Amino acid sequence: MVDQLLSQRIAEKIIKRLGIDERDIEYSKKPKTVVLITPDFFPRMSNEVSYTTKEIAQHLATRGVNTHVISYDPWKAGQREDFGGFTVHYVTNPVRAYSPLTWTLTLSMEVSRVIADIFHEEGNIDLIHAHEWLSFPAGIHLQAALRKPLLVNYYSIEHIRTPGVCNGYTEAVKQIEWMASYESKRIFVNQDWLKNLLHIHYSTPPEKVNVLNPEDKEFDKKIIRNYTWVVRQWREMIEK
Amino acid sequence: MERDDRKITVLHISWEFPPFKVGGLGTHVYHLTRAQAKAGMEPIVLTCGFEGNYGKEEKDGVVVYRINADNIPAEDFFSWVLQMNMLLQIEAAGIFRENRVSIIHAHDWLSTTTAVALKHIYRVPLIATIHALESGRYGGIRGDRQVLIHDLEGKLVFEAWRVICCSNFMKYSVVSTFATPEDKIDVVPNGVETAEFDSLQFNEQEFKNRFALPHEKIVLFVGRHVWEKGLDILMGAVPMILEKHPEAKFVVTGDGYHRQHCESLAKQNVPEGKVLFTGYVDDDTLKKLMKIADVIVVPSRYEPFGIVALEAMAARTPVVVADTGGLSEIVEHEKTGIKVWVENSESLAWGVKYVLDENNREKIMRMVENAYSTVKEKYSWDNAAKLTRKIYERVLKEYEKVTWKPRPEIFGRMDMPIVGID
Repeated sequence: MVDQLLSQRIAEKIIKRLGIDERDIEYSKKPKTVVLITPDFFPRMSNEVSYTTKEIAQHLATRGVNTHVISYDPWKAGQREDFGGFTVHYVTNPVRAYSPLTWTLTLSMEVSRVIADIFHEEGNIDLIHAHEWLSFPAGIHLQAALRKPLLVNYYSIEHIRTPGVCNGYTEAVKQIEWMASYESKRIFVNQDWLKNLLHIHYSTPPEKVNVLNPEDKEFDKKIIRNYTWVVRQWREMIEK
Repeated sequence: MERDDRKITVLHISWEFPPFKVGGLGTHVYHLTRAQAKAGMEPIVLTCGFEGNYGKEEKDGVVVYRINADNIPAEDFFSWVLQMNMLLQIEAAGIFRENRVSIIHAHDWLSTTTAVALKHIYRVPLIATIHALESGRYGGIRGDRQVLIHDLEGKLVFEAWRVICCSNFMKYSVVSTFATPEDKIDVVPNGVETAEFDSLQFNEQEFKNRFALPHEKIVLFVGRHVWEKGLDILMGAVPMILEKHPEAKFVVTGDGYHRQHCESLAKQNVPEGKVLFTGYVDDDTLKKLMKIADVIVVPSRYEPFGIVALEAMAARTPVVVADTGGLSEIVEHEKTGIKVWVENSESLAWGVKYVLDENNREKIMRMVENAYSTVKEKYSWDNAAKLTRKIYERVLKEYEKVTWKPRPEIFGRMDMPIVGID
């Protein structure tokens, strides 16, 4: 009995000293290939979306996850760039759209093409993570077609971008945002108030939403934990 | 119904399909898919559903999937189309899970985003039928909406393994508009079911009374009231025709943005009661009208094919067409119909007067019979299905030889939603 307690304490000390989160041991089945879809990325755009996407991609790369970022950049379209452990695929819209809505919905066919090529080349994608509503249509379609879990990141919602405005455009964007909140398996936001807004406007179950900020100390661990959980659940469900 | 893996399973993507119809696209897909099923293929149609008519339906060997297209919020029609495509894409995922689709067949720009995405995701050959071009419909590309449609048409033509056009006119329009290689395009003319007109049984006089007086001769226009259909040209010809044939009565079916303009033209130039705008009429009424009409006019400025002329020929009604586009290919002057100059009311008036003239009665009767036998020989949907099948077989043969193939995992088991985390 005493021996058992001693060995347990020694194990705990080792884990603590190495800085390993106990929950990480449980979630050992981390995803192998992850695709991030983002409208903005470095160097074309430096904003919250590109920063968060880059942080996630970097953390995944350091943990050995094969990470692909699909980003809009008309100047570098068609290029694949190695960003220190992860690959960025730049795409552009194949047609000339006249509004953010038509731009998003037409760009999605190009995003789908690039991700489908990754799928067919690499043999698998474990998870798709779409950032901001501009990436949601492609994410929603690919989740259904490739049968891979979709995670989404909200940085704001249409209700706060255009408060009090109700026209065809805003309603269409709201519907896309709602669909993504409904279809996705996990949602990330960076602030609590956004989690509440999702609940208020899109009836998103609070337990589906995680507040994650790249400035958090444990940001990388939380991301990996969420990814692993979703992938594990997904695999179990498929195996059933 | 058990689907046979050895058969060619074709997924048609068309935004319109009966009962929802706007132009000729829905009718084309309806007849083509029925003929394909008859010819031993397995056609599936992915389309829009309205007013509760959603879900899966199987009829005459054709499986139809209708998405809920009611209440899609959008800033305008074009963004509505793209939003609708997003829903089509989600529905398509289910179709690919249940069926071994060997060909994706997209119809016009309205299905481009879905067709292109599906092609790359499932790595299945894409065939595109280009029914009309935006540059032709409006005589050029001007506004930003037209630019978008033009680009979507170009993208579809570019991505397609092979392109199908309904006439040589359309083939060369696509070649010249998008610099598409000629040998990438096949011509498959539309068809018409003569039996649908032959089997019509009704009291003609009683039916005619709904539209005209017993002594009046019906000059019928069938089509959307849009610029390219040239209804305004007919309105310009009406006074000239009435001058010689006061017994003529002009019945105009259909609707569109040009209607108000044409109605005001009729009010200005034509005695009251001589032009009747009926709006949209149901299929049965339309066929009966075509059957009882004394002459059917197709004064189009732009006509990729001109199915109305073919239907007129099948109904054994004399037809007067503008000598343009596909109409020029369908109609042989004075042999199967009368051709008149394009965008010329005087020439159109001449054509109508020529047909209504009692002195030409014998010639016209001969012309009508010629037209009917031409339709029977050359323009059946069975023939269209046969030609389309040849194109599919050619593509599938070529597809066998390329390395561009899907991962088999993509057609595996379906998923279920996950909610919540501990």
